[in-house]
Amino acid sequence: MSDTTTLAAPKPRVAVDWKGRLVSALPLIGLVLLVIVVTINQPNFLALGSVRGLLESMAPILLLALGQTFVILTGGIDLSFAATASFGTVLLALWLPNLGMLGLVAVLATMTLIGFVNGFVIAKTQIPSFIATLGALGLYSGLGLAISGASNIRISQGYEAIGWITDLRIAGLPLSAILVVLIAVVIAVAMKVLARGKSFHAIGLAEQAVLMSGGSTVRIRILAFTLCGLFSGLAAVMLAASQRSGGPTLADTLQLPAIAAVVIGGTAITGGVGGAMKTVIGALIIVVLRVGLSAIGVPPSFEQIVYGAVIIAAVVLTIDRSRLGVVK
Amino acid sequence: MSVPVLEVKNLTKTFKNVVALDNITFEVRKHEVVGLIGENGAGKSTLLKILSGIYQPDSGEVLRNGVKTVFRGPQDSAKAGIGMVHQEQSLVTSVSVAENILLGSETDAVRAGFFNWGKLNAKAQKQLDKIQSPISPKEKVENLSFAQRQMVELAKALGVEEFSKEAPVIVLDEPSSVLEGEELEVLFTQIERLRQFASVIFVSHRLDEVLRVSDRVYVLKDGKSVAERNPDTADVDELHRLMVGRESSAEFYHEDEQLAVDGAPVVLKVDGLRKNNAFSDVSFEVRKGEVLGIAGVQGSGREELTRVIFGAEPFDGGSITLDGKKVRFSSPVGAVSAGFGYIPAERRIEGIAQGLSVQDNIFLADPSPVSVGPFLLPAKARTVASEWITRLRIRTPDRNANVANLSGGNQQKVVLAKWLNSPRLRVLILDHPTRGLDVGAKEDVYTFVRQLCSQGISIILLADTLEETIALSHSIFVMRDGQIQRRFDASPGNKPKPVDLVEQMV
Repeated sequence: MSDTTTLAAPKPRVAVDWKGRLVSALPLIGLVLLVIVVTINQPNFLALGSVRGLLESMAPILLLALGQTFVILTGGIDLSFAATASFGTVLLALWLPNLGMLGLVAVLATMTLIGFVNGFVIAKTQIPSFIATLGALGLYSGLGLAISGASNIRISQGYEAIGWITDLRIAGLPLSAILVVLIAVVIAVAMKVLARGKSFHAIGLAEQAVLMSGGSTVRIRILAFTLCGLFSGLAAVMLAASQRSGGPTLADTLQLPAIAAVVIGGTAITGGVGGAMKTVIGALIIVVLRVGLSAIGVPPSFEQIVYGAVIIAAVVLTIDRSRLGVVK
Repeated sequence: MSVPVLEVKNLTKTFKNVVALDNITFEVRKHEVVGLIGENGAGKSTLLKILSGIYQPDSGEVLRNGVKTVFRGPQDSAKAGIGMVHQEQSLVTSVSVAENILLGSETDAVRAGFFNWGKLNAKAQKQLDKIQSPISPKEKVENLSFAQRQMVELAKALGVEEFSKEAPVIVLDEPSSVLEGEELEVLFTQIERLRQFASVIFVSHRLDEVLRVSDRVYVLKDGKSVAERNPDTADVDELHRLMVGRESSAEFYHEDEQLAVDGAPVVLKVDGLRKNNAFSDVSFEVRKGEVLGIAGVQGSGREELTRVIFGAEPFDGGSITLDGKKVRFSSPVGAVSAGFGYIPAERRIEGIAQGLSVQDNIFLADPSPVSVGPFLLPAKARTVASEWITRLRIRTPDRNANVANLSGGNQQKVVLAKWLNSPRLRVLILDHPTRGLDVGAKEDVYTFVRQLCSQGISIILLADTLEETIALSHSIFVMRDGQIQRRFDASPGNKPKPVDLVEQMV
């Protein structure tokens, strides 16, 4: 048989691979540089108390960002996830006093259901996810405002059902943050060891090919949004626990930093490339940035500007221009 | 001897890693019809795209009447008097013949953005008169038959005469592939007429026709011009040998490896299948190890039929029976778990998952052979993936390489491996499995088809060419306008001729 085609010699390919590896290591390099810069400006930055505060503020952002990672991997985006989490804190404030632990479970179930409905609508009707979830954002933030009377509700009775999350410490570090990082590790390992673990990636890269290979693209899409809903619920629990209250806009300011954490960690906004550990790095960058900004005297009200800029910059740097045709 | 009207010298063109044209040299003389033959992937289309200014050659030159010319785009080529009649018709069907003929060269037929219809129609009529066509310039293209549309394309190509003082060179890219009988005669008459005032490059893989109309024939193979022949002394067999580089087509298609399937059990039975606006009353059976070829032109309904069987599209009536059990799939998910596989024509979109590695692509449809429950066995996955790469001779740096970086033929082998890897596979649908592959990769695909049959897998084949359909299939049916027009036995030693099929297709 005549050999059909010739591939490039292996050498330049290896070189390309190195470049790819360097690019994927950029977020980690950035994080280390950021820590060094902040530490130089504020030598007690790495003290236990400071690190504890850092991790505590990271936990809800990372939870939201992990949920969003599933959706972004499939090539979609869930814009309703922070509003859903805010709604969740309101539900917690209303249900915990009477139901206790059962209320906690009910809230998580409700959040998961909200994610499922988002996914179901998007996968079945093929509406662009940002439109569907923009609608959902209005829906759930409105619902939260309505049932809370547009004000924060203090959680006193039944608080013990969630309070343990912020109270427990391991080696002086908050249990919450450690748990969330553990969850991220579990996700990363699952994507590695499960036979269908790359399904989210595959859909983000080539939905048609997955479909024509007998993969249930509808089911995988729904699963991504369902997981995003569940993680919004977990973030709601963590926020309500640290604030001792529920509020209709409690999680809203986390929308931008959470999305920024996903994309700056190296998960491509076009889908298909990325993972949970990248999002952990991204979330760390975001919280260190936040501390660093206040250390150099930037007022907190400017933070959102930085997150917005970070999202755009990260996407510009990571987007694969050869696939621009599929950007939604 | 006078200067050739068009001369190509040492033209070379490579795409990434594939050499498409390798030092090609040929010439076209005044009032001459030059035949250009070669298999898919031999370099014909690349050569034509260079002549029409779509591609730039890496090296070599094009001379027009002895003057070196560079075509930076289709307009340069038109200005030099080279007119193209494309293989896939490029007419806008919703507007008139005149608008199509003058598309992009309306000049003074457009004033302030408005058509001057009288002028437009007159200009179009002038081109139509050159080929003495009775088609009215006012007619909408959508009301014309395929053959009539081709005449419009020809008239449009002749429009290049308006830009150039030189006698035009008209390139006909596979003009005869869907024509038959009288329509074919009309085409040949037109070519004779063109000869009076122009030169013609006639590209085809129908060798008898090339021999009939050409003054000289060039044979392309693997990007090289391997021979130049005089039709008076050459015959079809010789050209075929030169084209494929093998003694006979039977050998190319591994016909001696085709097994009889007369007594084999029926695996798939389709009964009265109907999809509105696509096809109706389609019934057939496929036996174990049988290849069923479905022939038909675009719009015959055969593509829709296979997509319906695979569950990618719904159907409106009739039934599909697999191993005696009625099945109805709402999506390919069910079809794949029941044992169907599908090798799509849109390989880069529906076949491979670009961005995933070769290994991940191989296990995309069914990871069960390399997993326990939901868990992947990494060591086994590595071994099995490497085995497939060796067995199918997939040329890749390693199993973790991004499948998007492989050549078309190797990507197709990855898609094949994806289905062969599945122990559930019973029926494999091949939709243009050799489209865009070079000769060697094609032959590999044919080999795998024979191997699959001997393993008892049934195949439904929508082939690129009739020759391929006939050689690979045990039985064939021709579809036309959504109906089965006729069935043919194509068992070993009983092969129908391409012309028999064509008669039923159009």
